[in-house]
Amino acid sequence: MDWGKIRFFLGEVLRNFTRNAGMQLTAIGTVAVTIILLGTFLYARASVAHIASDAMSKITISVYTTPDATKAQEDALRTAFAKDERILSSDFVPKSEGLRELRERMKGQIDTSILTENPLPDKFRIKVRNPEEVPAVAAALRKLPGVESVDYGQDVVARLLQIASVARRAGIALIGVFIVVAGIIISNTIRLTVFARRREISIMQLVGATNMYIRLPFICEGLIDGALGVVLAVAILAIAHATLVPKIALALPWLQLSAAQVDTSSLVLQLFGVGAAVGVVASWIAVGRYLRT
Amino acid sequence: MISLRGVSLVYPNGVRALDGIDLEIGKGDFVFLVGHSGTGKSSLLRLLYREMFPSSGDITVDGIRVDRLKRNRVPMLRRHLGVVFQDFKLLTDKTVWENVAFALQVTGAHTKDVRRQVPRCLDLVGLSHKSRMYPGELSGGEQQRAAIARALVNNPKILLCDEPTGNLDPATTTEIMELLGRINLKGTTIVVATHNQAVVDRMRRRVVRLENGRVVTDEERGYYFLGLGQDQILSG
Repeated sequence: MDWGKIRFFLGEVLRNFTRNAGMQLTAIGTVAVTIILLGTFLYARASVAHIASDAMSKITISVYTTPDATKAQEDALRTAFAKDERILSSDFVPKSEGLRELRERMKGQIDTSILTENPLPDKFRIKVRNPEEVPAVAAALRKLPGVESVDYGQDVVARLLQIASVARRAGIALIGVFIVVAGIIISNTIRLTVFARRREISIMQLVGATNMYIRLPFICEGLIDGALGVVLAVAILAIAHATLVPKIALALPWLQLSAAQVDTSSLVLQLFGVGAAVGVVASWIAVGRYLRT
Repeated sequence: MISLRGVSLVYPNGVRALDGIDLEIGKGDFVFLVGHSGTGKSSLLRLLYREMFPSSGDITVDGIRVDRLKRNRVPMLRRHLGVVFQDFKLLTDKTVWENVAFALQVTGAHTKDVRRQVPRCLDLVGLSHKSRMYPGELSGGEQQRAAIARALVNNPKILLCDEPTGNLDPATTTEIMELLGRINLKGTTIVVATHNQAVVDRMRRRVVRLENGRVVTDEERGYYFLGLGQDQILSG
């Protein structure tokens, strides 16, 4: 290991970096702003996805049997449910139980004593493994003999599926925009520092430094800009997360933010990856333009 | 060591900077390229270190076909050459030692080679005692010595000098030329582009005269104006 070589290289990077400190701060600041937007957005997206899938996972399919369904038919249904890979569990709810649940739910809202006889059919309560398969499973169950009707809150499911898919698609587009913007900003900053060092670059080229060697300090600079921008952004996001999320959860309880367990450590890793990659690619392009001309 | 055959250089604006140059420079030669400003001296040197690309013709430098050299091989060519300029091209925020070392360090040289070569070159140009000073603290002659030390630190077989004394007073010019003479004695091939008549006439080396992009005279132990005619010397 040639420590002198490493020291020289790191010295060059550090000198570059400190010489244009103002410019570096601008770059770091802009990266931070971009990453904050991206981070907020990714967090919101993860929350929405989580809330949606959480709501979906609570969805059960109610399969109502025909009033004249025989015991044999009910048993056949049970085996059909057990055989279906998509079905997680099934509970049989006899109509007496169903009535009791209904009374419970309607307590204080209507006078349930008017129900002198039980209008409910027997039903099965089905839980599905993958929420997105609910409509398909429901459609399949409807065709089984002895089934009167199937109900799973069709409207709600359709809406949730739509929200999830829109969030996903809008997410990909917006993330792309953010990354391109951050890239352009870093690229411009590096170009300014490349311009400030054009004398050194021309001398390096004159004495036979390879383009890769000339590039390397600038790439490191881009990497540092990107990484420091992310550090700043993550610090701000962490503070915001700690102070804002409990307040939002309190103000908008229906949002169930507390239920939205977003994986923040993997989110931070993603942001670092984006920041570093953008820094490297942007500075590569910035120096490349200079080396060619 | 250096060979040009039918080399022409036409700029994009149509100006013909060099026109069918044939030139052979042997190992250990000391050659002056003379001529007025704009006759193609600098262009010729730039072709040798592949700063420019010839429009036609063959160029061979130290066994490397420069006109066919791929872009990623240019650094290898440059390590075989030292180049010195009128404006020294030193880095003002680095000391003399750092400037010289820089040329080795950016080619990925080992630290122990840097520690060995840099003092040797500074000693050769007589700047050992000022190695910790910055270019701004040095005289023009000393700056040019530092630049020569940097050009030599890679142990090049060829040293190209583009108006090396253009910014220097006559006494300093003499010192620098004597230094180049000493370097040449050690076996380094030297090509000096200059329009300094006194320098050329005192050194009495091979003189290649360019005019309008062509070689008009090529004389061993020549004078600046030889080959132009007596009356032109008297009137010029």
